[in-house]
Amino acid sequence: MNLIVPIKQVPETSNVKMDPETGTMIRDGVESIINPLDLYAIEIAIQLKETHGGKVTAVTMGPPSADKALREAIAMGCDDGVLVSDRQFAGADTWSTAYVLVKAIEKIGAVDLIIAGERATDGDTGQVGPNIAAAMDLPLATYVSAVDGVEQDAVTVQRLTEEGYEKLRLPLPALLTVVKEISYPRLPTLRGKQRAAKTEIPTFTVADLDVEAGYLGLKGSPTRVVKIETPKVTRGGKIFKVTDEESLHEAVDSLIAFMKTKEII
Amino acid sequence: MAYGKVTRDVIGELVAILGEKNVFYDPEKMESYSHDETPIEQYQSMPEVVITPTTALQIAEVMKLANRELIPVTPRGAGSGLSGGAIPLFGGILLSVEKMNKVLEIDYDNMMIVVEPGLVTNEINGLVAEKGLFFAGYPMSLETCFVGGNIAENAGGGKAVKYGVTGQYIVGMEIVSPQGEIIELGGKIIKDVTGYDLKRLMIGSEGTLGIVTKAIIKLSPLPKAVTNLLVLFEDVDTAISTVPMIMSEGGIIPTSIEFMDKLSVHTACDYLNEHLPYQKAGSMLLLEVDGTKQSQVDEDAEVIGELCLENGAIEVYVADNYTTQERVWSVRRNIAEAFKVYSPHQSLEDIVVPISAIAGLMPLIEDIAKKYDIKMPSYGHAGDGNLHTTLVKNPESTMEEWYEIEEKALLELYDAVKSLGGKISGEHGIGAKRKKYMDDLLGPGEMTMMRTIKRALDPNNIMNPGKIFDL
Repeated sequence: MNLIVPIKQVPETSNVKMDPETGTMIRDGVESIINPLDLYAIEIAIQLKETHGGKVTAVTMGPPSADKALREAIAMGCDDGVLVSDRQFAGADTWSTAYVLVKAIEKIGAVDLIIAGERATDGDTGQVGPNIAAAMDLPLATYVSAVDGVEQDAVTVQRLTEEGYEKLRLPLPALLTVVKEISYPRLPTLRGKQRAAKTEIPTFTVADLDVEAGYLGLKGSPTRVVKIETPKVTRGGKIFKVTDEESLHEAVDSLIAFMKTKEII
Repeated sequence: MAYGKVTRDVIGELVAILGEKNVFYDPEKMESYSHDETPIEQYQSMPEVVITPTTALQIAEVMKLANRELIPVTPRGAGSGLSGGAIPLFGGILLSVEKMNKVLEIDYDNMMIVVEPGLVTNEINGLVAEKGLFFAGYPMSLETCFVGGNIAENAGGGKAVKYGVTGQYIVGMEIVSPQGEIIELGGKIIKDVTGYDLKRLMIGSEGTLGIVTKAIIKLSPLPKAVTNLLVLFEDVDTAISTVPMIMSEGGIIPTSIEFMDKLSVHTACDYLNEHLPYQKAGSMLLLEVDGTKQSQVDEDAEVIGELCLENGAIEVYVADNYTTQERVWSVRRNIAEAFKVYSPHQSLEDIVVPISAIAGLMPLIEDIAKKYDIKMPSYGHAGDGNLHTTLVKNPESTMEEWYEIEEKALLELYDAVKSLGGKISGEHGIGAKRKKYMDDLLGPGEMTMMRTIKRALDPNNIMNPGKIFDL
């Protein structure tokens, strides 16, 4: 089966500092990594290939330096990588990104299953995966936590919902976005790294894709980031000091009275 | 020798020297100064008074007072030690350097920093990182430990294969001698054979020969690129025999070569829910290479990886970004925690043997563990032969049985180490914990030399008495 994994290169955010003036991230010296949630998509795709045969292609839209993310994916076990890169794509929102990725996926060729991470840790929208499915008119399952079976023309999955799990059978081709529960990502091996270094990664530019200029980049994006704000936390706590039985009763009474005003009890 | 007591009069004199807020004797407040990271129930000992001086002059005055009254003085850093070095065995005065935590000077021209002993080690790295520098000799506990303690123990850590240990970076210091003199040793110079190398004598003396009040530390260029390799081996022998090959045949000195035996690997991976295919692994090496250029570092990592595969490694994993590096190092970092789940009662050891002797030591350790029905995982710095073999109590046995087993098993372990040309501590020190083994393990000549030095510099034996050896 032909599997495609759209991935994103994101800044490594666990050590990141914020600029208190602008509320944006200080990107200086910040390392770029594969979106951590995409690793689970890569892993399950490789596992499906190992069981059912076929090929896994990682695809990413980003600057030329995003090549590094694709090589890491290949080092883990993906067969190929495709970089979608052009200055005209810069500043694209989720809709425009999905639009370009769909064109790239169509160019890659026949596809049976597209597997994406749940969301990227930088934008945090979780929209690009479902957007691709919508644009390609593919059946979609989000928050997939297990792939139960693959048949000739269908895939059976479990998806995580607020109440529990839902079991779905989707005709192929289809698109899944997956959650952490689905797999334990493997580490890249030395042999994988060596293969990745030798693999030729094609770059698709505007000229290579059947795209309309009006839908590209910041200009072609229907949504805009107008302002970034850090939400103000207004939660104030109250501490009751309990030293004896009397103060204990007082504290409990106050707590009950408070919960009544909030209609919690 | 019978020591003097900390009387009301002595407290009064201490307050006069240090001020009211730098002297306290409330038992509740003193409790945290009565132990370090060794098991409390075995090594705890309360001080009579805790003082927090702010200058060398105050310390000098205190030492004069202590000599007059014959009161023991125990210097203390962050209390993160693993040998009981900062525990006041005979009560007396506990001297905490926690308030002497200033950076006195950053000298970029000489690539040196001058600091007080109570500075948290990692703060140095935070201050000089933007200039592309770092202090290379730090131990694994760098986020909590103090510079003063690092010098007293000559602490080392995971990067010692390439960068060595604390002592190599201390070019000068100011100390207060046991008799209360303020003395400068060394300076902002790299070479110095002007007389005995007394600063080296102070380094690793565990606070028994004086108190460091100022340290001049040499800084190094901060590496810009780092790559890690996690290598699975079928057994200990193949892993350990690869270590010297990396340096001799490969021609590369890695920053770290960490070794984990089967028990350590399996327990840590289990604890972390790490799904690496570790079930097949009989041991693991974690290597780090660093440098100024990523391409060079990658090339070095490839040479090492190929050597490992040639030598029978099951698999070589490459971690060259934050996500994967955190993941591979967390296996190594969580070994001790993982074993605490099995049993909180342990003796964390710090043996050091010639690198080539590690493979021969492993079956001896296995025999000891079997004989006493305890677990003895071994992990640590294979690149310098320093292993943190740990004795883990069998949860079935009573504490009395455990203390007996611990003593016997330790003795057998130390004998095995000695027979292979090793020593019982590489970086944690002797302190209170291991002193009873010193006379048997070191020759009488060496012990006499040490005792002679101690008696000459501290005739009243009040400077951290009862550590390393008894007089």
